[in-house]
Amino acid sequence: MEHKKDIKTQIQVTIDGKICNGTTNDTILKIARRNGIYIPTMCYLTKVEPIASCRMCIVDVEGVDGHILSCQERAVDGAVVHTQNSELFKQRQNIMKLYNVNHPLECGVCDKSGECDLQNKTLEYGVEVQTFQTKEPHRPVQNWGFISYDPALCIMCEKCVKVSHEITGNEALRIKMGGYKSTILNTKNDHFDSSLGESAAVCPVGALVDTSFKYSTNAWELTKIPATCSHCSSGCALSYEVKNDTIYRVTNPFEFSSLCGAGRYGFDFANRVNGKDKKAFDAGISAFKTAKTIKFSASITNEEAQILQELKNKFDYNLVCDEAYGYGEFMRAYSSTSGKSLYGGNLESLSKCEGIIVLGSRIEDDDPMVKYHITMASKRQSARVAYMHPIEDSRISNIVTQFIKYEVGSEEGVLALLLSYILSNKELPAHVSEYIKELDIGNLSAESNVGEEELEKFFKAIEKKNRFTLVIGSDIYAHPRVAHIAKLVGIIDSYSDFEIIAIPPATNALGVSLICDLDKQGVGESIGYNEIGDFTLSSQGAANLDMPALNQQEGTFTTIDKRVVATNVAISYDGYTLNDIANELGLYNKNTIDYTAKLPVSKGFMEVDFDNLRDDFDIEGNDMRGYLLASCETKKDDSLEEPAELSSFDGAMVYNCNETHYFGDATNKSKLLSSSESHTLKGSSQFAQIAKIEDGQSLRYSINDIVYERVFKIDTTLKGTIALNPTFDMGLSSSMVSSYRYNNFNIEKTNTVGAS
Amino acid sequence: MNEIRKEDERVKGTQEYVLLDLSHSPETGFDQFAQVVKRTFGKELFVGLWVTLREMGSTLFGKGKHTVSYPLEKMPIAPRYRAIHDMLRLLESGNYRCIGCGLCEKICISNCIAMDTKYDENQRKEVSEYTINFGRCIFCGYCAEVCPELAIVHGGRYENASEQRASFSLFEDMLKPIDMLTQQKEFDGFGAVSPNADENIKKTPLAY
Repeated sequence: MEHKKDIKTQIQVTIDGKICNGTTNDTILKIARRNGIYIPTMCYLTKVEPIASCRMCIVDVEGVDGHILSCQERAVDGAVVHTQNSELFKQRQNIMKLYNVNHPLECGVCDKSGECDLQNKTLEYGVEVQTFQTKEPHRPVQNWGFISYDPALCIMCEKCVKVSHEITGNEALRIKMGGYKSTILNTKNDHFDSSLGESAAVCPVGALVDTSFKYSTNAWELTKIPATCSHCSSGCALSYEVKNDTIYRVTNPFEFSSLCGAGRYGFDFANRVNGKDKKAFDAGISAFKTAKTIKFSASITNEEAQILQELKNKFDYNLVCDEAYGYGEFMRAYSSTSGKSLYGGNLESLSKCEGIIVLGSRIEDDDPMVKYHITMASKRQSARVAYMHPIEDSRISNIVTQFIKYEVGSEEGVLALLLSYILSNKELPAHVSEYIKELDIGNLSAESNVGEEELEKFFKAIEKKNRFTLVIGSDIYAHPRVAHIAKLVGIIDSYSDFEIIAIPPATNALGVSLICDLDKQGVGESIGYNEIGDFTLSSQGAANLDMPALNQQEGTFTTIDKRVVATNVAISYDGYTLNDIANELGLYNKNTIDYTAKLPVSKGFMEVDFDNLRDDFDIEGNDMRGYLLASCETKKDDSLEEPAELSSFDGAMVYNCNETHYFGDATNKSKLLSSSESHTLKGSSQFAQIAKIEDGQSLRYSINDIVYERVFKIDTTLKGTIALNPTFDMGLSSSMVSSYRYNNFNIEKTNTVGAS
Repeated sequence: MNEIRKEDERVKGTQEYVLLDLSHSPETGFDQFAQVVKRTFGKELFVGLWVTLREMGSTLFGKGKHTVSYPLEKMPIAPRYRAIHDMLRLLESGNYRCIGCGLCEKICISNCIAMDTKYDENQRKEVSEYTINFGRCIFCGYCAEVCPELAIVHGGRYENASEQRASFSLFEDMLKPIDMLTQQKEFDGFGAVSPNADENIKKTPLAY
């Protein structure tokens, strides 16, 4: 296995007369691409393990009989490789002739035409006629929800299958073998999964296409706008493909990176306005003059956060951002014990781990990209994954090796337990080992309901492995004891080989928490930016003054990888922006992006102009977008406290959790993502019993003063007494969740079944 | 030697000039006066008038008409003439031929073609909107030449005066009316298949 060969030796190979450097871990194809030498491929996909189904990448190595598959063969020191000669050309041409057997010639109506690998390679190898034939079975087009599959166009390269197993982890696609009759099967066809979009993206021909995009326009008519996905903190690279000021589809650099269903299908959230509304603008300016507080959601750009901070410096506003406040508190406390301003892990390193602990996040729903990278680690390194959460999640049982359930609210105790296990047999300073010694493990285990034998099992399993990550999720940031939990995380980071990833709970929560000095609570009159205030600025409707949505703005986000990445304007916007208000109030900058170079250097940002930020990947797939935040040294303060007593969470509880591919209001607006059924409160039958409600009953209940009216549905995949409550469809109040994600369930009113 | 002889022959050539039989110009003042009198009172004037009268007669009442009576009558247009586009139909089914491939939109050098397509209920690509902006069109004929289905061709409708530009630009306006399908002629103008196209076609290897 690859990870065993950690000692890489430098080697030299000669490819087509050019001397190329590499390591023993590199395949011939990798070295060739790095050196700009072209080897044709049909099935090779950089981000997954070599598939080796197409045989186009054959090369000749001197002294070796027969052709070598360069995509999976590792280079040997001193090898002399030839990638082009007449024999290889003939072989490759024959492969293309076979790919073209019965392939329909209706390129004119195919969506892939113009960006089709088969089209390109057929022309490259001069295959002018279809030489071979066979009897064609009847193969109708299949609709798989977000994507549709045309078996007649499929060339069986297996990229989609590999992606669904190795990246997205839904494992829906598999191959039905049968010679020429082979097809791709969707084994989970009852459930239309938006993550299948990633499988469609990698399809080199027109076999898998987005159902919504099918036949709507030609690839070459679309203008690609490089941007960053604005739905969650992963900040995935994507391109909005635009014609006539309408986004037709979203594509991504699929060779190197992935995109979840929300990013791919939730693109139509632009706020279209009819010009500048001077009256509303003037009202806004006077509201800013009387207001004492600005409340905002963390789904804004770094530049806007900087504007808000500068407004605070000038007018002494209270800045309130519920989504980022707890996260900021976590990061500050974490820095105090780890000595670093930022955590060390990133998604790339997560995918290379062999031991992973996920704590406090329902990752399948909260952050698909984290889940994808855990899937990669699980499939490639057979990583041991401990999923610690009060709610079991059967959907990810294929990647999780151990579910460890803990009591709601006991996160602090769980971390103390983890600390004692992770740091056992490690050299520690006196006060830390003293602290561990004084921990009452038995009591902690009993209170949190995490069995000692469960943890022992996990840590025994990862004993001989290396590279570990502890993933912290958003349950922690609003926990009443967040500061001390973060300190424990910092200790783990300092004294063990665990890397930490603290998933930012909203798109730019990391950026906002770094740039803005946030206040816990507001005072006096308030301005709401994408939140409800006395005067509301919003890109999502219900606004006193309209603002551009995130696909109508230039700016940068700070992602989970601690990378500052740029996003661009896909849809035009001719109304007022936050910068116009700031200019009116006396901050003078012509464009919002003038603030990019003014982001605080002391927090790790760089003085780089927006126009100098890159938006691409290099030839080896390294992310070159934007720049990485610098991690600063911070003052250490190692003082630790006893874990606090548990506040009681008993009986029926609800957990604020959006379903997969729903994040904020932007995804709620999206036509493609919205399903016909309304969003329900989902719980197990046990929950129904305790809460004394029935399946299909419509309820009225409130959490954190937000009133929800939802129908209750029994979900048989759930267990326990915790129900899942989506918040994304609550308009502007969807980002106002400041408290702990678990709450006791208090019904205000019930209606009988059927009467809604 | 040879070369010189060739040169001679070319110079010599066969030049057969014909001299016009012009009468002498009058030389004295009297001669001039006599010529004026002869021309004024001679019968030449009436010869001319007669010719005019005769031609007028044959044009109005006989077969000597050389012009077309334009709005009522039009000259036949050459097949390669490029006027307002026609959208042709399939003769068998009456469906329009356009498959929405978008090549005309792409090749158009004045950017005047705009189209939208969609996935229709028969799982086919359907043209949902197709317009040509005739304020921009330069009638270059590239669209007709690139069309793989001979669906868009240049018709003979050259009268571009209309109250509104939109009168021409919609797909439906250019589409051959279904009741005139029998009168649809196979196009042999700009971009049409060559007369020997049949010989150039290669069979696909599909056995069924």
